[in-house]
Amino acid sequence: MNTVSIRTRTYLLLAALIACILANAAQAMIMTIRPAATPGGLEFNLSAKQGYILTPDGGAYYMWGYANGDGLMQYPGPTLEFNQGETVTIHLTNQLDVPVSMVFPGQLNVTAGGGTAGVLTNEAAPAGGMVSYTFTATHAGTYHYHSGTNPELQIEMGLFGAIIVRPDNQPAEETWAYNHVDSQYDYEYLFLMSEMDPTIHEKAECGMWDQIDMNEYWPVLWFINGRCAPDVMLPDNTPLLPHQPYSCRPQVHPNERMLMRLIGGGRDLHPFHHHGNNALQIARDGRLLSSSPALGANLAVSDFTQAAAPGMTLDCIFTWTGKGLGWDVYGHEQDIDNEPTGDFPGPGDVDHNENGSVDNVDPVAGEDMEDHGKPFPVQLPDNKALAFGATYSGSPFLGAMGDLPPGEGGMNMFGGMMFMWHSHNEKEMVNYDIFPGGLMTMMFVEPPGAPIGGAHTMPMGQ
Amino acid sequence: MNRKIAYGLMTLLALGLGASRAWGEIHTQFTPDTDGVDTDGNGDPNDDHVYLHMFAGDGFVNMADQDRTLQYMFGFGDATGVPDEMVMMHGMLAAEFPAPTIVVREGQKVYLNLSNVGMMMRPDLFDPHTIHWHGFPNAAAIFDGVPDASVSIAMGFTFTYFYQVVEPGTFMWHCHVEATEHMQMGMLGNLYVLPKQDLLPPGTPLANLPPGKGPTHQQGYKYCYNDGDGSTYYDVDYPIQISSFDPEFHNASLTVQPLPFALMDDKFPMLNGRGYPDTTNLNVLYNTAGDEGYGEMNRPSQKVSSLIEATRGERVLLRISSLSTTSFHTLTVAGIPMHVIGQGSRLLRGPNGEDLTYWTNSVNLGGGEAKDVILDTANIEPGDYALYTTNLSHLSNNTEDFGGMMTEIILHPAE
Repeated sequence: MNTVSIRTRTYLLLAALIACILANAAQAMIMTIRPAATPGGLEFNLSAKQGYILTPDGGAYYMWGYANGDGLMQYPGPTLEFNQGETVTIHLTNQLDVPVSMVFPGQLNVTAGGGTAGVLTNEAAPAGGMVSYTFTATHAGTYHYHSGTNPELQIEMGLFGAIIVRPDNQPAEETWAYNHVDSQYDYEYLFLMSEMDPTIHEKAECGMWDQIDMNEYWPVLWFINGRCAPDVMLPDNTPLLPHQPYSCRPQVHPNERMLMRLIGGGRDLHPFHHHGNNALQIARDGRLLSSSPALGANLAVSDFTQAAAPGMTLDCIFTWTGKGLGWDVYGHEQDIDNEPTGDFPGPGDVDHNENGSVDNVDPVAGEDMEDHGKPFPVQLPDNKALAFGATYSGSPFLGAMGDLPPGEGGMNMFGGMMFMWHSHNEKEMVNYDIFPGGLMTMMFVEPPGAPIGGAHTMPMGQ
Repeated sequence: MNRKIAYGLMTLLALGLGASRAWGEIHTQFTPDTDGVDTDGNGDPNDDHVYLHMFAGDGFVNMADQDRTLQYMFGFGDATGVPDEMVMMHGMLAAEFPAPTIVVREGQKVYLNLSNVGMMMRPDLFDPHTIHWHGFPNAAAIFDGVPDASVSIAMGFTFTYFYQVVEPGTFMWHCHVEATEHMQMGMLGNLYVLPKQDLLPPGTPLANLPPGKGPTHQQGYKYCYNDGDGSTYYDVDYPIQISSFDPEFHNASLTVQPLPFALMDDKFPMLNGRGYPDTTNLNVLYNTAGDEGYGEMNRPSQKVSSLIEATRGERVLLRISSLSTTSFHTLTVAGIPMHVIGQGSRLLRGPNGEDLTYWTNSVNLGGGEAKDVILDTANIEPGDYALYTTNLSHLSNNTEDFGGMMTEIILHPAE
């Protein structure tokens, strides 16, 4: 048995330093493309092309995807960002040798220019054909787009992406997802979920089109934002994954509001379970769950698993407070004052909050005062009795580090608490036959003062 | 004795000897309630702390097909009350499916001890285990059971989880170590929290109690949530947990073969760890020896019946959860309307109190989802009704139809 102890709080200093370096604290957490506005509206230039994605089991798979201008094929396609009320034109150039197109579920009065008529919309002809789509975004929210040509095959091949429409009536100093304060958030993250059957891609690469049978579809790879775990933890635009630029590394401080933009991008349902706390589902398919605009998200539903069906988008607000645990989550009952007495509780220790027991450290803003100073309720077993996680800080307390055996844990620079966010159809947490992986990431609750979005923790091990 | 069991015993014996001498042993923790405050509201200030002790290991369960197919499993069992020094012998090869049902009350402080007794049939494995209280609000990583983000307990040792229970509702619990494998192998069970509203002073006005029950709370009235109006009143409640086994996966595990994650395809769909018709058996089921002679085990391995019984006029609360590792399932009740009153361990009510409950004939749950459904039998003819999945291919026990994910509701006539 060893007593839980806090060995270092130097993270605060470190955090302050890094926060200074990253002066731009309110940076966007979702990588998007947004061209400069012109009098005629926004003009996006996309192309459809081929390329290869990489999976953590060592796979490289032939894909089709949308690219930003002359850029590389992307899986998923570029996340398009524009404002409610803006008129948007998307020019698509086809560099594949099959017809291709784009449809925009949830957008109204989309007009197609050029190309040739297809089943769902106009298509760009193979090898250099062009088509344009124009619409005006009437509503804020989370949307997606995908190919309207042979979609059962072309979505599988990678021709889909996300759309974020910003509301036209949010206060200048705030970030809202919709035109109501109920959608206010501090950080936003994208969770675009999809799956893959590699045999289709292998046959496509060899041109064995008559061998592809979608009835035999059997996915063995699952993705968030086009990456399998643990690759989701690598930074945006990592050179290791040239065709998969988007990470999924949600982070939040206690009491802050995180907006989760969930999209069912593939053909299967994925029950997305977010450890840590329930989230409030405030919008579905780009509409606030509301009975009247003035009432905000008054029909919002709290849940611990969000079931995003194929083609569906969900917006959820997640907050973690650490309240109600029955012990001080910051470890304030320990002798960790600026001038520790070494004999806690001892003569030099003060009952700051006058609750009858000494507590050497002032409470953190937003801390549960009921729990302030309450001791950790159990003894942790000796290290020899334990296995350690890669993102374990070594301490049960938020913002603290603890002793770890050599080579164990520590991928957690600021003593945060990590929570697994994943498909709870657990089969989807593997990469082919290798666990862990798939539709999964780690959400980081970082202690107050720790930077978010900049200097990151390391990717998960194992 | 089977040779594998002998090897397993030798391994564990060696571990046990080592444990007693050098490095630890089964050691549970519990702090008695001495704070003088009645946090669970039952009138006794000294009984708010709850001691529970689960073990994690392996075992065998029978499926509901005619061959009584024996499936190897990883699982939990109850060791509450077993002296610490007896836990290894008590828990070895004694896993249950589903895991023991955990029922606690809002306001309690739970000391949930987990002892890892090792896996007898897999002496090659040194897997640690954890407990994940699925849906616990504002969880702390150390007690969340995700091995990547905290610690997990090794063979021969005990970890004590602590939960101050602040939210009533229907949750679930499972091991989170190598979650795809350990959950497919059976380390999952029901968990729900009773609300403080059950203990209201009799005579407290509640505006939406069922007809004939109002207008005030009476002793013995039960509610699913702290609804403030009696609208989640029920007479009887049943946890119903969806799960399913892939026999190829379980056989590969038993025979120490590479595990077919990519090909995982469940063929034994179950409710509370049994296929129909075993679901309707009120008795504890004891496992049998398999063809390959894994001993005359005769262990109580499937303890949770899913037979639902009520008297006409009663309200039946179904605490439905899914821990399937492979698919979404839809459950339907033929002939009795379903009132969905809760979801994700919360009352279905909007932020400003809007009633978001709904009436339906079916509920759909993916893995990790929970829904609370009340069956109002006031206008229903007495008789037998079926609760079953409309994923029709899951109305089977492997190759045998029909069976699988189904149970019966027996509605008795009123007196």
